Amino acid sequence: MPFAFVDTLTENFDEFLRGFGITVQLVVVSFVIAMAVGTLIAAFRVAPNPWLQRIGGLYVECFRNIPLLVLIFISYPGLRRAGVDISAFVAGVASLGLYTAAYVAEALRSGVFSVSKGQIEASLSLGFTYPETMRRIILPQAFRTVISPLGSLIIAMIKNSAILGGSILALDDLLKTGRVIASRTFDVIPAFVWAAAGYLILTGLATLAIRMLETRYAVKR
Amino acid sequence: MTSFAAFGWLTEGNNLRFILEGFLINLQIAVVAIVLALIAGLGLALLRLSRNRVVSVVTGIWVDVFRNLPLLLLILFLFLWIPTSARDTWEDVMPSWMPEAWQSGLMLAGLSGLVLYNSAVLAEIMRAGIQSLPRGQSEAAQALGLNYRQAMRHVILPQGLRRMVPATVSQLITLTKDTTLVSIIAIVEVMRRARTVTATSGNPFTGGGTEAPILEVFLFVGLLFIIFNYALSRLSRRLEIREKERSGSKPDIEVRGLEEQVA
Repeated sequence: MPFAFVDTLTENFDEFLRGFGITVQLVVVSFVIAMAVGTLIAAFRVAPNPWLQRIGGLYVECFRNIPLLVLIFISYPGLRRAGVDISAFVAGVASLGLYTAAYVAEALRSGVFSVSKGQIEASLSLGFTYPETMRRIILPQAFRTVISPLGSLIIAMIKNSAILGGSILALDDLLKTGRVIASRTFDVIPAFVWAAAGYLILTGLATLAIRMLETRYAVKR
Repeated sequence: MTSFAAFGWLTEGNNLRFILEGFLINLQIAVVAIVLALIAGLGLALLRLSRNRVVSVVTGIWVDVFRNLPLLLLILFLFLWIPTSARDTWEDVMPSWMPEAWQSGLMLAGLSGLVLYNSAVLAEIMRAGIQSLPRGQSEAAQALGLNYRQAMRHVILPQGLRRMVPATVSQLITLTKDTTLVSIIAIVEVMRRARTVTATSGNPFTGGGTEAPILEVFLFVGLLFIIFNYALSRLSRRLEIREKERSGSKPDIEVRGLEEQVA
């Protein structure tokens, strides 16, 4: 029995590795999208213009409360049927990226609010413009408080990336690979255990990395 | 490209009702799953805090493994792994007045997956809630002569669990979204019903003769979730504020929940 476990891994190692690689790709690309869009939305939410604030708020409420699977159906079969030629990969990372961007925006916003108001006032009175104040004074300080929520988001993203492979997008990620191997070899338990191990490696590494960043940037008092 | 105003399919046949009833199934699944997950989660949290080292470590590993795995992986695994006999038993046991989706043996896999994952997440929230209590509480209980059990029941849990109410409501939001995942193992809820409505041959169940545009149908389904979860999040916020007021202005030692984690 224990040998059967090892055999499942060794015999399908290349396939597992490929799936692992695709999951990593999905997470990295989606994270870049989530950070870019999330930062923009967070900037909207703390901007002085009330209309920008409202747009930011609307974005957050919509993308945070909608199931990722619904986003996938909107962005892949939905858009394709409507005549937009979008690939499964793009639809997948766009869905996961835009979905997570709402959470990123919230994390960044609360980070910005954690910097005291006096900092902004001091900076403005020193003659910095609003964008300068943000970039040079507020954001560097906010970054510290934002590390751990962003870290949890990366972990959530790793887990959510499985939805891309499991859904109609059928991207060949780690979960899909495990599923395919399970149904081909009938070794359901080993196939899923190894896929699970792959996810645990990723979430474990992410946890470690975040912990290191947290200690490194911790405020020394 | 179809116009975004093309929501005419909603009024065709029974489409609207068909989809709303599907959404109701998702809500039912979410409520049942959160209740079971709360019970299992409390058990896990207590085992995790057990003074027996082995029990605590083993539970810790269990919790960390299951909350770090993709929920969909758990659901798909259970779907393949749970034997047909167990599904049949489920189908026999479910009374016939239950909604159709609940009578399906597949629900066993879907529900177990949701409970397995969420009980681990909630156990962690509860543990944080219990441990966020000042040490003095358990010391005072001990000094008053309460044993471990009594201290837990009368002093620690009532306070600790109160603090996790807002976090639990946010978890319920995530759970509501996650119920759509059971459509992947062919449980018929809102996602499956939405796909039926968009089927090219028209919807045989509702008499909507024409296919509905996929984009609009899923935008509508998304809107249902957004409205429901937005209301829930407002409720969660309000509970949080009330809890803060109730406990005086005790600052931020409270459980910030894994609210950000949930994504």
